Amino acid sequence: MYYPEQITKLIDSFMKLPGIGPKTATRLAFHVLTMKEDTVLEFAKALVNAKRNLTYCSVCGHITDRDPCYICEDSHRDKSVICVVQDPKDVIAMEKMKEYNGLYHVLHGSISPMEGIGPEDINIPGLLKRLQDDQIQELILATNPNIEGEATAMYIAKLVKPSGIKVTRIAHGLPVGGDLEYADEVTLSKALEGRREL
Amino acid sequence: MYIQKLHLNHFRNYEKLSLSFENTVNVILGENAQGKTNVMESIFVLAMAKSHRTTNDRELIQWDQDYAKIKGTVKKENTLLPMELVITKKGKKAKINHLEQNRLSQYVGHFNVVMFAPEDLNLVKGSPSIRRRFIDMEIGQVSQIYLHEMSQFHKVLQQRNKILKQMQRADSTLLEIYTEQLAVLATKISKKRFEYLHLLEKWAKEIHFSITRGVENLQIRYKPSVNVSEEDDLSKMINMYMDQFRKVQQKELERGVTLIGPHRDDIKFYVNDRNVQIYGSQGQKRTTALSVKLAEIELIFNETGEYPTLLLDDVLSELDTYRQSHLLNTIQGKVQTFVTTTSVEGIDHQMLKDARTFQVKNGKIDVDEHLR
Repeated sequence: MYYPEQITKLIDSFMKLPGIGPKTATRLAFHVLTMKEDTVLEFAKALVNAKRNLTYCSVCGHITDRDPCYICEDSHRDKSVICVVQDPKDVIAMEKMKEYNGLYHVLHGSISPMEGIGPEDINIPGLLKRLQDDQIQELILATNPNIEGEATAMYIAKLVKPSGIKVTRIAHGLPVGGDLEYADEVTLSKALEGRREL
Repeated sequence: MYIQKLHLNHFRNYEKLSLSFENTVNVILGENAQGKTNVMESIFVLAMAKSHRTTNDRELIQWDQDYAKIKGTVKKENTLLPMELVITKKGKKAKINHLEQNRLSQYVGHFNVVMFAPEDLNLVKGSPSIRRRFIDMEIGQVSQIYLHEMSQFHKVLQQRNKILKQMQRADSTLLEIYTEQLAVLATKISKKRFEYLHLLEKWAKEIHFSITRGVENLQIRYKPSVNVSEEDDLSKMINMYMDQFRKVQQKELERGVTLIGPHRDDIKFYVNDRNVQIYGSQGQKRTTALSVKLAEIELIFNETGEYPTLLLDDVLSELDTYRQSHLLNTIQGKVQTFVTTTSVEGIDHQMLKDARTFQVKNGKIDVDEHLR
């Protein structure tokens, strides 16, 4: 059974997206044929626009349509604090909170020698360059609480500590509003390890 | 606790099998190569989500099939717990109470078993890796946190080895970080191993003493790769690991692997102050292995408040009459036991009279209610 070339190309393109295999790709491709031409055109434009007009901020690495990004440009923000995260999606999560008023630095990954990712392969050199600015007084390390994220945080801490900048790590443990009894043993033991005096 | 029902699909040589059991001795009787051990293995896998015979899960799936399924109902003090484990070529799916568990570490520990098979003699005379595997499995049955720490440890170990393999180009800051992480995890694991072996020794000593009619004194010693001791507190132990890592760093960089840590630990068994592994007779080694296994039963009872199910694969025939009856006395009436054997001749004990027998022939099983 052969599809026309146009269809195979479309299926191929859908398969480049994460989480989409040959079957879903085929279904999506055939669905496109039933869509109105305007809708398809808009879809295609949205794809191209997103790629063409969005870049990574040359300062912090966040995703943006202008360089530097709106966060780095915002004069109301506290420029003495930088929060280091792994992914642009983490910036969005932090921003939703509306409690944090400092700057960000997006690493685009975490250190993992197993996967061939060393400190040079993620946005650490960019961070070190930013820290040469005297304004910065605190670095908040908000990488994920797993082996790789933890190693990345420790690595940055080791490099930055000698410069006298305050380096902090976000807490981990129990989720707020959750019940103690529903927490799994591992989370609970972490929460106990990280307890503090009142 | 005991297992009430067992269903197998495409497990080893069983196309389909349904059995129900009582909280007594269950004898699995059959000739060689009929599938006796496979039944034992399936109960073990249901409890531990891995086999005692192989590390390759694919071997568990019947020839030419895509999956193997083990379902069981476990009776606990006052509840019935349905468990299910599906093994496919891609991985395992585990359900407790019909709910799928995201992590296998959440699955293991609901149903406790103790297995004693001919291979267990290797616990005493085999390589250190067998003893590490044993202790990891046993602590894992009662501590989820230990399982988590072990898996973290192996992740860090892999990352660290990768760095070491880069030899002289290795990033020294990064190496230092992984060393620190490893030292912390190694300390936590060592602490738990000390604690566990201490308890195990307490029970095993007593049992060994009575099996040998008061002649032999068994001691179990944990030999960590770094000379830490049980009394050291966490920070002292971490420092000792760090010191040792500093000493071997050059060697590690030359060889490209991590040379110290829980993956290099060992356990030593002594009888009357002599190392059984080296100086013990075949019989002493067997008794030591048996004592350790029986001690596990008591240990699990202590930790969980319920006796585990005991699986005795082909071992009764290897013990002399005195040891046999001692073994059967220990478990009498309190521990659900599965025994495989080719014949009941020569096993002379009151208890086997009340046992239920399962005749295995070529992947099919018949139930005889009473033996004699």
